[in-house]
Amino acid sequence: MSFRFLFAMAAAKLSRAVIRLFGRDGSCTPGIIAIRLCPDFLRHLKMPDKVICITGTNGKTTTSNLVAGIVRDLGYTVTNNSLGSNVQGGVATALLADSTLTGKPKKQVAVLEVDERSSLLVYKYITPDFLVCNNIMRDSLKRNAHTDFIAYILGSALSEKTHVILNADDFICSSLFPKCLSRTYFGISADRPDSDRISSRDIVYCPDCGTRLHAEYVRFDHIGRIYCPGCLKKSPEPDYCVTEIDASRDVFKIRHGGEEREYKLVNSNIVNLYNFCGAVAVLTEAGFDPDKVCAAFNAQKIVKSRYDFIEAGKLSITTQLAKGQNPVACARAFSYIASLPKKNKCVLVMTDDKHDNTNNSESVCWIYDTDFSALRDDSISEIIFAGKRCRDQRLRAVIAGVDPRKIRINDDLFEGAKMIDTDKYSDIYVLHDPYILSETGMIKNYLIERGKANED
Amino acid sequence: MKIEILFSEVCNQFGDPQNAEYLKQSCPSDTFVYTALDEEPCFASSRPDMVIMGSMSESIQRKVILKLLPLKKRIEDLIDDGVVFLMTGNAADVFCRKIDYVTEKITVDAVGLFDIDVKTDWFKRVNSKVIGDADGNTVTGFRSQFAEYSGDNSEFCFLKVERGFGFRPGHMYEGMRKKNFIATQLLGPILPLNPDFCKYLIDIAGGNGSPAHYELAKEAFDKRVAEFRDPSTEF
Ligand SMILES: [Zn+2]
Repeated sequence: MSFRFLFAMAAAKLSRAVIRLFGRDGSCTPGIIAIRLCPDFLRHLKMPDKVICITGTNGKTTTSNLVAGIVRDLGYTVTNNSLGSNVQGGVATALLADSTLTGKPKKQVAVLEVDERSSLLVYKYITPDFLVCNNIMRDSLKRNAHTDFIAYILGSALSEKTHVILNADDFICSSLFPKCLSRTYFGISADRPDSDRISSRDIVYCPDCGTRLHAEYVRFDHIGRIYCPGCLKKSPEPDYCVTEIDASRDVFKIRHGGEEREYKLVNSNIVNLYNFCGAVAVLTEAGFDPDKVCAAFNAQKIVKSRYDFIEAGKLSITTQLAKGQNPVACARAFSYIASLPKKNKCVLVMTDDKHDNTNNSESVCWIYDTDFSALRDDSISEIIFAGKRCRDQRLRAVIAGVDPRKIRINDDLFEGAKMIDTDKYSDIYVLHDPYILSETGMIKNYLIERGKANED
Repeated sequence: MKIEILFSEVCNQFGDPQNAEYLKQSCPSDTFVYTALDEEPCFASSRPDMVIMGSMSESIQRKVILKLLPLKKRIEDLIDDGVVFLMTGNAADVFCRKIDYVTEKITVDAVGLFDIDVKTDWFKRVNSKVIGDADGNTVTGFRSQFAEYSGDNSEFCFLKVERGFGFRPGHMYEGMRKKNFIATQLLGPILPLNPDFCKYLIDIAGGNGSPAHYELAKEAFDKRVAEFRDPSTEF
C-alpha cells in the first residue's frame, strides 16, 4: 500500500468530514481530491464482496436505487452513490466513505451507478462482478455525441471477467461487450406492439454485414425484436422476461427458468418495466433468493424526485422527470403523459438547462432531435413551455404538428406555473429537468396550495 | 422545386432532419425525394434544385464517402449549374480533402471539393455557438463536433463570423461555400433557427415557398440574436 494512497485517503476523508459539517452530503469533492492526489486511487481500494455496476443511457438512477434498496432490505450493508454523482469522483467518494483509512470496505455490497462517459476511468481500476446496461440511446449531443461513440467507450473499458446483464430488446445494448462470456439478457414479451417498422435513427443497417435490419416488432426507437435477413443475427432471447403487465391490478410478471413471479407495478411507463426487470435479473444472478427479492421489490418506491403523484383538493398533480438535452428521455415523458387515460390535461414543460442558460444561450439542437409529436394528443388541452428557451420549444412543437393555440410560453418557471388555470384543469403534469428540483418542489407546493384553496 | 434529402435514415444526428421537415412545411407544393444509403442518389441522373444532408456517426461517414466519391464530377457539374447543396454538421467533412480518424486510427480520402483536411478525435469534443453573416443574412447556430479543420477557407467561407469562431478559436471564417454549395459545421436545425436564411436558400434554389410558422420562428430567432450579441453572454 503506497504512502500516496494513504495520504489521499486521509485528505479525502478529512474533506468529507468538513463538507458534511456544512450539510452537503451529495458532493463528490472528496473523491476528486483523492484522485487528484493519487490518480489510481480506485485501484488501491479493496472492493466489497459483491460489486454491481449499473450503466446505460436511461434508467440508471431508478435501477440503481431499486437494486440498492432491495439489497438493504435483504439485510446487507450497501455502498451506493445515489445521493452523489455517477462520474469517477462520485464513485470514488461513495467507496472511500465506506472504507477504512487503509482502504478496506466496511460494507458487504457495492451498487454503483456509472455514467457511460466515465466508464474508461472507472473500469480501468474496478472490475465489477456484475454490470447492468439498460439501454444505449441518444443522449446529450454535446457530451455523448452518438450511440457509436458511447458503445465504443463502454466496450473498450470493461474486463471480460464481468458478468453482463443486458437489455435483449435493445439491439445496440445486447451486442455490447462481445468478450464477456457470462451474459444474461432481460426483456419484455408482454403487450407486444403491432408496429414492425424500425423507427430507430441509430441502427438501421446490420453492424456485422450491412444489410438493412428488419423487426418482428418495435416498441420505440430501436427497442423491440430485431433481426438481420443477411447474416441472421437477431435480438437474443431474454433469460428474464416480463410476460404480463396488468395495470388494472397494478402488477406485472417476470418469467425466469420456468418460474414466474408477480411484482407490484409502481409505474407503468414501459421504460421503467425494463429497469425493474434488469434489477430483478441482476439480483437473482448475484445469488440473492428470488422469492425474497420479489418480496423486497414489492416494498420499494420510486424516488419522489423522479416521479410523484399528489391529489390536492380537486387537483391531481403529477411531476415527472424529463431530462433536458436528452431527446429520448423527453420524448418518452411526452408519450407517457399522452398515454395516461385522462382528458383535458395541462402540461407544464421545464426542460431548459439551468447552467447553459446562465450568462449563456443554450444549444437548442437537442430540442430538434426530440420527438414532440406525442404532445399533439387530444387528451392534452394546454401546454405551457416555461424557461428561457420557451420560444424555441414552441416552434419545435408547432413543427411537430402541435396546434399553436394549445401553447403558451413564459421565460420564467414560476410565472409559467402561475399561468396554469386551476379552475379549468384538474389534471396537471409538470415535466422537469433534474437540475431544477428545488424550483419544481416550490411549484409543486404552489399547485398543492391552489388545489386546497379551490376546495375551500 | 425538387429537393433531394440524402441518406436521412442514417444522416440524422443532432436535430439535422428538421431542416428537411421545415423546408417541407415551407414549400408544401414542392417535391421531396428521400434517398437511402443503399440506393443511388437521384442527382446522379437528374437535376434537383436542392440537395441536403445532415450529421452522422463516423462509421456512417466513411460509407457516405464511398458512396459519393464516384459522383464527384457529377456534383461539380451540378454546382456549376447553380444547384443548392446544404451540408450540415459533419456532412461538411465529407467534401474536404481527407479525414484522419485519430481514435480509430484510420485515414480516408474524402470527396475533395475543398482543400481542407479534417482530424476527428473522439476524445476532443467541441461545443460552441456562432453568429455571423452569409451573403447579407444574419445566421445563428450551434456546433457540437469531434472534428478539427486545417486549411485556409478565408476565400470560400460560408459565414463571416461576428461572435464565436470558424475552424478554431480566433478564426473568423466558418464553413465552406462554392457557388450555391454550402458546407457548414453548424448543426441541422439551421433552417428553423434562421427563417430569413431559409427564405434566402429557397430563393436561390428558384423556389417560391416561404418559411413556415414565420412569426414564431422569427420571435425565437430575434431572442437568440439578442442573447448572442449581449456582451455578457459567454462564447
Ligand atoms: Zn447482418
